[in-house]
Amino acid sequence: MARFHPLEVTDVRRETRDAVVVTLKPRAEDAEAFDFTQGQYLTFRRDFDGQELRRSYSICAGKDEGVLRVGIKRVDGGAFSTWANEELNPGAVLDAMPPMGKFYTSIEPDADKHYLGFAGGSGITPVLSIIKTVLAREPKSKFTLVYANRQINSIMFREELEDLKNLYLGRFSVIHVLETEGQEIDLFTGRIDDEKMKGLFERWIDAGSIDTAFICGPEPMMLTIAASLRDHGLSDDQIKFELFASGQPGRAKARPVSKQTHDTAETTEATVMLDGTSRTFQMESRDMSVLDAALANDLDAPYSCKAGVCSTCRCKVLEGEVEMAVNHALEDYEVRAGYALSCQAIPLTDKVVISYDE
Amino acid sequence: MSDTMNIEDYLEQGGVLTSPMNVPARYRGELLRLMGSFVDSELAGSAGFAASINFAPGIKERIAASRITLEKADHAERVLNVMGSFGTDTARYQNQHNWAARAERDADIGTIRTGGDMRLSVFHYPITGWADAVVMNVLMGLATGVQITELTRLSYAPLAEVFREIAPREARHAELGLEGLERIMANNEQREEALESIAYWRPRVAATFGHAGSQRFETQKRLGLRHTPNEDLLAEWNNQLDTRLSTL
Repeated sequence: MARFHPLEVTDVRRETRDAVVVTLKPRAEDAEAFDFTQGQYLTFRRDFDGQELRRSYSICAGKDEGVLRVGIKRVDGGAFSTWANEELNPGAVLDAMPPMGKFYTSIEPDADKHYLGFAGGSGITPVLSIIKTVLAREPKSKFTLVYANRQINSIMFREELEDLKNLYLGRFSVIHVLETEGQEIDLFTGRIDDEKMKGLFERWIDAGSIDTAFICGPEPMMLTIAASLRDHGLSDDQIKFELFASGQPGRAKARPVSKQTHDTAETTEATVMLDGTSRTFQMESRDMSVLDAALANDLDAPYSCKAGVCSTCRCKVLEGEVEMAVNHALEDYEVRAGYALSCQAIPLTDKVVISYDE
Repeated sequence: MSDTMNIEDYLEQGGVLTSPMNVPARYRGELLRLMGSFVDSELAGSAGFAASINFAPGIKERIAASRITLEKADHAERVLNVMGSFGTDTARYQNQHNWAARAERDADIGTIRTGGDMRLSVFHYPITGWADAVVMNVLMGLATGVQITELTRLSYAPLAEVFREIAPREARHAELGLEGLERIMANNEQREEALESIAYWRPRVAATFGHAGSQRFETQKRLGLRHTPNEDLLAEWNNQLDTRLSTL
């Protein structure tokens, strides 16, 4: 299981009004573990009011910059991103898991490829890492970036992208699409929709020349662009996706306080929620797992190993209490938030409510 | 681009998820179940084929059977690593079951998962000899081809990528089987044995496609984990198999 390591914050730079770029340094013994691949992300954890919160942010540095750096845009109501934007300072230490993610293609120094990137807002972070790495390590490859933002002053890394254009003349081009700001070319104003994609492919980008496309942004943008890329002849294995932070679930809610105390009754009334419907049944003995009871009652609950190892059967205990015989898959913070492995969960109270939907 | 949408709507419209951090709870469960079934089937398939190496009549066949044994274990490991990113204890998982365990040849298992693991029921039946091993590999190899092609389109990008990597190698296993079956069918004595094996394995492999009108399929489809109904995949396999067998 991936473990957390301390990273020292060596720099916090304000990038836009609501985004910061944070430079991090692993301990010497962790350097190898943090030797990232372009386009990967880091998962951080931090306690907020006694509750652990985990958030992933993409690395924006290129492989040749010799640093670990992430971009963090403040999200409305987002505890971690607000804290990072307002209170994080050099010298602080952040806990992070080693880099993860498969949002990249392998570098081939002799390759003569044309990459196309689409980034929406802070979705630029992993794409920037890929752009820098590809341009530096594949001297014959080209990169075209289509970058969507609300307005000019919300564009992250605007200057850095301009510098890259100058550094790699003829190999890197950027098309800025601004939602609320008029530009000389109408096509570059408004949201990226199917119409705009057609316009881009008609006049600005030769779809047939594209080897790989990278998309990172919010859900509707990913759908629109992926559909258009397929319409223009790209196959699934030519399209790489990274769904950005909006898809992350909200703060892990605290485990609900049990409404009942332990008791000695031998039976339990179990309510199981699955796919939005709930079913209640009686468990006649206390030596059966909640999963087995649900299966015996014809509920198609997910499971695989039934040995507390794989975590397929993870559920959330909403009411009552259960005890797990073994747990090799859930971390402490998940257990504190009320999650349990249903294959191992024996009820302790005469009523339990569990959900596979949360 | 601050607009977002409900993740269930996104998936229904063909959206792709990219990390354990952005999958909803139900999606997580179904995704892990699908991966568990694949890993268990590959490990059980590999373990079953390991014994067939010693049925091989020659070096060429021995190498083919060894390669299949090796690569199926490798494919299991690749998918197990994706499970690991969701918290699965991968070291424990691979020792959880006796992957070589088999039921009786004439046991009636149907499509019900038996024993502790999630392998497809066909991997509970023992292989009895070289012709039998080759036939099983051809029939199941073609079925795997149809089933993996379906999975290369699934909505969890890191897993879809793994399936796209292993699909050509699984296809090669079926090709190796077909080459072996051609040689067997050219020999009158072995031909009879192979025909019996085809009759034995065909319904058992067909059962791996699951039931028509499956509720599980509807759930998986809603989550973008599947696209083509079981009965259509089964029909595709029957077609492919009939075409291949008709040339032998």
